[in-house]
Amino acid sequence: MNIFRKVAALATAATLFAGFGAASAGAQTLEAVKSRGTINVGMLVDFPPFGILDTSGQPDGYDADVAKLLAKDLGVDVNLVPVTGPNRIPYLLSGQVDVLVASLGITEERAKQVDFSQPYAGIEIFLFGEKDVDVPDAAALAGKNVGVARASTQDTAITKIAPEGTNIQRFDDDASAVQALLSGQVPLIGASNTVVAQVETVRPETYTTKFSLSQQRQGIATRPGSTELMAAVNDFLTKMKEDGQLNELHQKWLDAPLPDFIASTNN
Amino acid sequence: MNYELNFAPVFANFDHLIAGTLVTIQLSFGAMLLGTIVAVACAAGKTGGPAPVRWLVDAYVEIIRNTPFLIQIFFIFFGLPALGIRFSPNTAALVALTVNVGAYATEIIRAGIESIQRGQVEAGTALGLKRIQIFRYIVIKPALRTVYPALTSQFIYLMLTSSVVSVISATDLAAAGNDIQSRTFASFEVYLVITGIYLVLSVALSGLFSLVERLAFNYPLSR
Amino acid sequence: MIRPFGFDEALFIVWAIQWTLALSAIAFAGGSVGGLIIALLRVSRARLPRYLALGYVRLFQGTPLLMQLFLVYFGLNIFGAGINPWVAASLALTLHASAFLGEIWRGCIQAVPSGQSEASWALGLGYVDRMKSVVLPQAAKIAVAPTVGFLVQLIKGTSLASIIGFVELTRAGQIINNATFVPFEVFGLVAILYFVICWPLSLLARWMERRFAVATQR
Repeated sequence: MNIFRKVAALATAATLFAGFGAASAGAQTLEAVKSRGTINVGMLVDFPPFGILDTSGQPDGYDADVAKLLAKDLGVDVNLVPVTGPNRIPYLLSGQVDVLVASLGITEERAKQVDFSQPYAGIEIFLFGEKDVDVPDAAALAGKNVGVARASTQDTAITKIAPEGTNIQRFDDDASAVQALLSGQVPLIGASNTVVAQVETVRPETYTTKFSLSQQRQGIATRPGSTELMAAVNDFLTKMKEDGQLNELHQKWLDAPLPDFIASTNN
Repeated sequence: MNYELNFAPVFANFDHLIAGTLVTIQLSFGAMLLGTIVAVACAAGKTGGPAPVRWLVDAYVEIIRNTPFLIQIFFIFFGLPALGIRFSPNTAALVALTVNVGAYATEIIRAGIESIQRGQVEAGTALGLKRIQIFRYIVIKPALRTVYPALTSQFIYLMLTSSVVSVISATDLAAAGNDIQSRTFASFEVYLVITGIYLVLSVALSGLFSLVERLAFNYPLSR
Repeated sequence: MIRPFGFDEALFIVWAIQWTLALSAIAFAGGSVGGLIIALLRVSRARLPRYLALGYVRLFQGTPLLMQLFLVYFGLNIFGAGINPWVAASLALTLHASAFLGEIWRGCIQAVPSGQSEASWALGLGYVDRMKSVVLPQAAKIAVAPTVGFLVQLIKGTSLASIIGFVELTRAGQIINNATFVPFEVFGLVAILYFVICWPLSLLARWMERRFAVATQR
């Protein structure tokens, strides 16, 4: 039960931190990470297949593998810190983690708070739901219940296109929205391609994707101004994309090659 | 501390807060009414029913009182569909709150019923009253009066507990707060205002309850 | 990724009990200190501390625990203490428990006949001696049963810490449910585990209450 010891250590460390920490820690230097010998990486653990807990309770998934390779590339140990969707940016800004490899979608709004690397993963968002519910376009959403994770990319996209009379039900996270779909509590949800793939494996041929809502690129994030560290992260990603390692990871966790809109090495 | 409180985004969404407050009020009063009905029935079963009924009531009361409301509402909304039972989020919230407060109120009302002296009931029987009349006039009405303070503080606690129902996407006051904070990032300000509204609601409720007490129970307690 | 709800998954949930218990213990310990202070202020003869303590109790008993958690959680960040579920949950639950225990213990202190206090005053005992040696030991006997009763409420209350990302029993259940999608079994198990912790305490509280009632019958 290693995770519990780890969580305990983490908690103690974080408690100490809390006493002295500031609301916003300064930029992170690469040197500080290297001399410490450990990089603290924030990642989600409830966002399969990017971030999950494996059967022994250890963080795992695409993000975990990317984080481990990043640490190896920098020549330091990795300390994976579980964060949640709503608290991941505060964790980074308050200095409790050095970088986020936390499926953080690159948006203009977030780019004001954190620095993003080139994309290391991407997802496509769909309207997804029961096979016999016919929704060819946004107008057909009127009068229907749609589940989404509150303030997620799905929420924003559906709220934007939904006509008057659409009943958007907001849950705390993606998993709750999926659970509501599986329980038959909502006929439709906004979901990423990864969620769609998972649901298809548990309940094959029950649901279909209706139409695409948006594409999202995910980046590794650092505190603003951490120039050297960010350069190192970008070099690492470029290497990984060129030698095919990132593609391999993508194949392992998502069962598909790295999509073209991610494979480019430009930021 | 280099942070300035900014309440503008909260007040820009005030209609949203009002709508949520109304849902919270509806859920609370709905659950008080339904929960009292459940509790009177269960307390009657517990004090005068056959053994299997008493065991059922005991099981219900103990299970609800010894598990968190959060788990109860997850179970009702996400778990019960496995048995083919489905409610919309706000209905599921009402059901969960009713089931929850019903258990606490059962215990309170049972204690009230047991405080009625046996002689009172016997006197009613001697007067030729029917069982239902005895229960209604001699047992339950004085019992409710005795336990009124305990019952109403349980009701206020119920209203505060209802803040949890947003986890199943019900649209109460706390959910309105979650929506606004996730759009504006003014988390602290949003929850400060929401907390203030809850405080106003609980003060108003306790004022309402003492008004009702004066109007409905204005005859003196005979002890 | 989606996996069956097996032995490892159940074990993960069962193990998370320790965090529920740890958080409850912290809040109960902190709440005992805070509660004692509140109770003493509430029975103080000076008006200002009495009103301050009353205001504190009204504030925490008149607002939802969930909002108290949110305010401490986001408030700590504003005051530069960072976002930390452990600190936020411990602090919020401690403040919450202080109000409830303070109110329970005030009732118990006031249940000690005033003659006791007056007699010790007449004997020339100062405030500290009077409280420590005469009033509080008698109040403590009355307080045990309702205090255990509140402990049950506090343990259940720690489940709300899951909403700010604190991994205890409820959050462990959610994490496992997010990977298995069998809510009936997962939340059923979580409910049973809470019941196993809380029910014996409830029975204990009731037994002590009855024993105390018998002991004080005249």
